[in-house]
Order: sequence, then C-alpha cells, then structure tokens
Amino acid sequence: MIDVAQLKAHAKGLLEKGTVRTVFGYRKSTAGLLAEPAGITEAAQADDLIFDPSCVQNLALYLVNDKKHQAEKRSDDKRPVAVVAKGCDSRAITVLLQENHFSRESVHVIGVSCEGTGVVDARKLARKLGNKKALAVAFDGADAFAVTTNEGTQSIAAAEVMAERCLECRSAHPTLSDVVFGEAKAERGLHTPFQAVKAKIKESEEDRWAYWSRQFDRCLRCYACRSVCPMCYCDECVVDSISFVIAPDTTAEEKANRIKWIERSPAKSESAMYHMVRAIHLAGRCIDCAECERVCPVNIPLRLLNTRLEMEAFETFQYNPGSDPELPTLTSSFRDTDPNSFIR
Amino acid sequence: MTKTVAMEKMLKKADLAAWMAKLEQTRLFAPALEDEDVWNYMPVADAKAVGLDHPNTIRPPKGFVFPQREVLYKFSQIPSEAPILTETLPDPEPTVVFGVRPCDSRGLVRQDIVFTKEYEDPYYHGRRAKVIYVGQACNTPPSANCFCSSVGGSPCAEDGLDVLMTELDGVYHVKAVTARGAELLAKGGDLFKEASDADKASVLKTHAAAKAHPQRPIKDLGKVAGALKKNFDSPAWDEMAKACIGCGICTFLCPTCHCFDINDEVTCSSPCSGERVRTWDTCQFPDFTMHTSGHNPRHDLGSRLRQRVCHKFLYFVENHDTQQCTGCGRCVSLCPVGIDIVSVVERLGQP
Repeated sequence: MIDVAQLKAHAKGLLEKGTVRTVFGYRKSTAGLLAEPAGITEAAQADDLIFDPSCVQNLALYLVNDKKHQAEKRSDDKRPVAVVAKGCDSRAITVLLQENHFSRESVHVIGVSCEGTGVVDARKLARKLGNKKALAVAFDGADAFAVTTNEGTQSIAAAEVMAERCLECRSAHPTLSDVVFGEAKAERGLHTPFQAVKAKIKESEEDRWAYWSRQFDRCLRCYACRSVCPMCYCDECVVDSISFVIAPDTTAEEKANRIKWIERSPAKSESAMYHMVRAIHLAGRCIDCAECERVCPVNIPLRLLNTRLEMEAFETFQYNPGSDPELPTLTSSFRDTDPNSFIR
Repeated sequence: MTKTVAMEKMLKKADLAAWMAKLEQTRLFAPALEDEDVWNYMPVADAKAVGLDHPNTIRPPKGFVFPQREVLYKFSQIPSEAPILTETLPDPEPTVVFGVRPCDSRGLVRQDIVFTKEYEDPYYHGRRAKVIYVGQACNTPPSANCFCSSVGGSPCAEDGLDVLMTELDGVYHVKAVTARGAELLAKGGDLFKEASDADKASVLKTHAAAKAHPQRPIKDLGKVAGALKKNFDSPAWDEMAKACIGCGICTFLCPTCHCFDINDEVTCSSPCSGERVRTWDTCQFPDFTMHTSGHNPRHDLGSRLRQRVCHKFLYFVENHDTQQCTGCGRCVSLCPVGIDIVSVVERLGQP
C-alpha cells in the first residue's frame, strides 16, 4: 500500500530545497469524486497531495503544457518539474522522452504503483451504487476499493468498478521513475491485452459502421479528447481551425488559403475524420491512459480506436510504446526482420 | 406585472402516455438514454417508456432553439453571373419538450435576452416560436452539483416554461404557466382533473421540501459582480486555471452560453456553391479572440477562465441585470479536471 505521507514528505522536500520548480500531483476536488490535478510550487501545499483510486488523470499532460507556458513566459528557470506518475503515466513520459519533447533532466518522476487495483471508473461506480453518491474512494487491500457514500463505507471488488484500461493494464508499476512509492506487484492479468478491441472487431463490418456512425454522430467537437492527450502537443492541429498558428511572418495569403480539412460543423463526416486523423497520429504512441475516453462528455468509446492501432503495432512489430526511453519510436525504427508484405 | 390566474390540473402518472398521444401534429421530445450513461432529449418513440425520472441531461435543451449548426443562407455563383443567395430561415415542426429542469428553462430566458432583446435573431426566433417547454420540478436534486437556488432560481421555478409538472404520489400536478401551455393542457381533455385545494397544498409542500435540499452555496450573490471587477487582475485566475486543459465542455454544454462562429462551407468550388453556417463557438478555444495580426488578447487559460466566469457573473449582470448562470452544475460535473465555478466565485467573487 502506498504511504501517502511519504509521498507528501518527498514533494515537500523537493520544494523546500528548491530542486524542482513545480510538483504536479493530485488533490481532493470540490467538484466531485475524482481528484483534481494540482501544480504546487510551495512546500506547504504538499500537505494537500493525495493518492488514491480517484487519481485518474494522466499528469504527463502538464509537463507538455508547462513547457509551452515556460516558453510563452520566456522563463529562464531551468529547474526540473516533478510529476506524480502511475504506470500508464510513466509510459506517456517515456514516449515524450523518446520523441525528445523534453530532456530526462528536466523531469523528476515520482512514480506511484497502482499495485493490485488501478483507478476507478466514475461511471461504472455510479451505476454500481445506484442512488447512493460516492464521496471518497480508497485502496482496500490487494483487490478492492473502500467506497464512502452518504450511507457509510463499503468494500467493492476493484475489478467491478475499475477503469477498463486498468483491467487490460500490462504494467501497473512505473517503467520510469526517479523515486517510486508502493510495491511492484506482478502483472494483474485480469483481462488479456486488447480484449475489448478484439471483441469489437469480431463484429460484422455493417454492425461496426452502424456503431461508429452513432458515436461520431453525437460528437460535440469540444476537443476534450485532444486537449487531454499528452501526445497531442502540436501547436497547430491539421484537422481543425481553433489553433491556427499565426506568426509575425504569416502572410495574408497563407491565412486566406489555409486548407480546411474539416468543417467546424459537428456533422458525422467531419467528426469521423477528426477522430480518425487523431487515432492515426497516435499509432505506436498511445500508452492507453484512456483519458480521451474518460473525459468525453458524450461517452464515445475512443479507447477502442486507439487500442486498435496499438494492437497493430504490437502484433506486427512487437512494439509496446513507453516501455523503454532508449528505444527509438515505432515510426523512426526499422528492422530487417520487419514484415513488409503490405508494401507493394 | 399582473399575475394571471394559472391553470392547475392533476394527471395520473399512468395517463402521461395518453396525453402525449393526444399531442399528435407535434414532435415530442423527452429525456432518455442516447447511449450508455448519455442522457439527452430524444424523440419520443414510445410514450409509455417516458419515465421523467432522469438526472440532469448531459446536453441542455438549448439546441432546440440554438442548434450547434444553423445554416444562415445558401450561396451559388455561375462564372460571369451575379451570385445567388437563398434564404434558409428555419420553419420547424411544432415541438413539445418534456422533462425540462427549471435551471435549463431559466437558461432559455437568458438566451432570449441575447437573441431577442436588442436584435431579434430570425433563426432563433423562428425556432423559439415553435417549441413548447414542459418543465419538471426537481423533487430531489438531479445532479450532485446543483446550485440553482444560489443564483436566484429554485427547483420549481417557472421562468421560461410553458407548463410546470410536479410529481406527487402517483400523479402529476400540471400547471399551465403560459397561454401556449394552457392550450397543451386543453388537448388532454378529461385526462386532467381540476386540482383540489388539498392537491395545491400538497404541491406547495413538495416544492418547499425540494427547496430545502442542501445545494452548493454562493454567499452574497449581490456582491459577486463588484468583487469580480475588483479582482480582475488577481493572480488567482492563473492559479485556478492551472489544471484547465482548454476544451469546450463547460461552454458547449452550458444552458446559457451562446457564442457562435460563422463560416462558409463550400460544397462545390466550380461552379461555386455552399452554405454560410453558424456553429457554436467558445471563449475557451484559442482562436476565439485571435486577431488577424497574430496577437491574442486572451492568450492563456487564466484569462479564458476569467472571461467565462466574469461573463456570467459580472458583464451579463451589468448589461442585463441578471446572472448568466442558472446553477445546473454541468460545467462542474463534466469538467475533466474538476474546475468548479462555485469555488471560483466563492474565492474571487466575495468582497
């Protein structure tokens, strides 16, 4: 079991000594059950930090956002940034390191092991609890959550209300860390990897098209899936107009003639294009934190799209993103033994 | 303002479907699950399946009058000829929306201010005239983040509604608030019984109990606007926006947010034809305030959070003497990172 007091003490020490600029961690939210990401800069704030199954967010996103923010501020504070990272989050940081998004020295990874359980899926939990409202959730032994509601505390088997991705998780322990809290437990193997997507692709093409039509039809294009993804760090996204980069030397002609690959209208064709392009750009990079799916307000099962491509990367090239920062990325590596039957 | 005597009737719960059946010639919508966990206003296919026991819908009902995509007109041009513009004013079928929560109907009143007060938007107005809103009092809060009472509303408010329904034991108390609402009740004929004094007393009791449910409080609403003005330059805006990911959930799903973008969607380039389209936009996206020069006056997340909160609790109050927030709690519940407008107002909107 993770000793949160140790985690707090470690964060406090880093900030007291001034060895890091910020610590990104979790704290209790006023908005509901799930924790909220916190970027703390004062040692005293370390007391607010928590780690429990409500800490669902992938904080690697804040390393990416912090880099942009520092550049905008023209800050010359080069101290590293500390971040609390679960197994999946540490794999995201590894991918960012592989892509040279930032250097290893610029980040201090405070690894936290999910041990036997993983994090909670708030939708599943709400369904399980019915009319009762969850107020807090804690780890309860090796395979259960202690859920506090308005009617008291009960123990629920973790597998029943765990996030889907945690069920299929291949390494609950951080693969990359400067310090780690919690035990390195053997892999859980509750579900086999890619179980959900394998079940989906067995359906007929017509059924799948009907399924995805329904999903894309209700997409709001709020772009929460992209905004929350640590791998979507481009300044300008090819598929939409909300982030067109205008530099001092961007000409009027460039502004006028910018190709609109998709329209702003939330039509099925446009939304399908948006999601497909995003999925393709994540191939061999998505570490299955499933944040895109969690944040979607209309519950589009985006994880299926991304894991479909990860399955391809794994089965065709034995590539597991985020496993080793020293390895080249999937698209920048080549082996003589790679299958090439698809090249004609 | 003189208050007209409202029509108060009783309807057996089991007769709701029969009433709906009598409303032929109108499109009926009611809250239903669009997909797993996704409550939305859906066309009523089977009136018997309408339970009116929904939590807060994910989408507010604003799309009926302010759809996410509205075609303003069509255009086409044959080379060397004058361009042709074709009017596309909406003329929807008459529509009745059931199960509207009072916060959402109060949101509609805010939309009315924006789209009809100084300038009457024909697209909005064309739809608004055709939609009848049947509200439902919230006997228990439909969301954990409800705060309607803290922004001048109530779980049984009637603003913006044509009819207000309140569930009692096995029956609905159905009150017509407008003439359109009274017509709707008249169509139900003898399905409705006149509300007795005992029924009226029972409704008052239920409403009082609904109002007594604890909600998230905002201390001194009257002083919020002034305090926000004073705190315009507070560093706390940046601090509270630190976790913000910059998506559009809070605004797109807000019952009062009304900002839009206008684009030409060209469907054929030779000969040129297409549509001029209005779509929802949001102050949370970077290009919302992007100048053509490349300068963005709201370049960071802190200034965008400030804009969202100040528009609702300061600028709208200055311009229209009411908050542009009705306390539905969607932006709080659906924010991926727990940004909480009540906490923000508590922190920066108190003297």
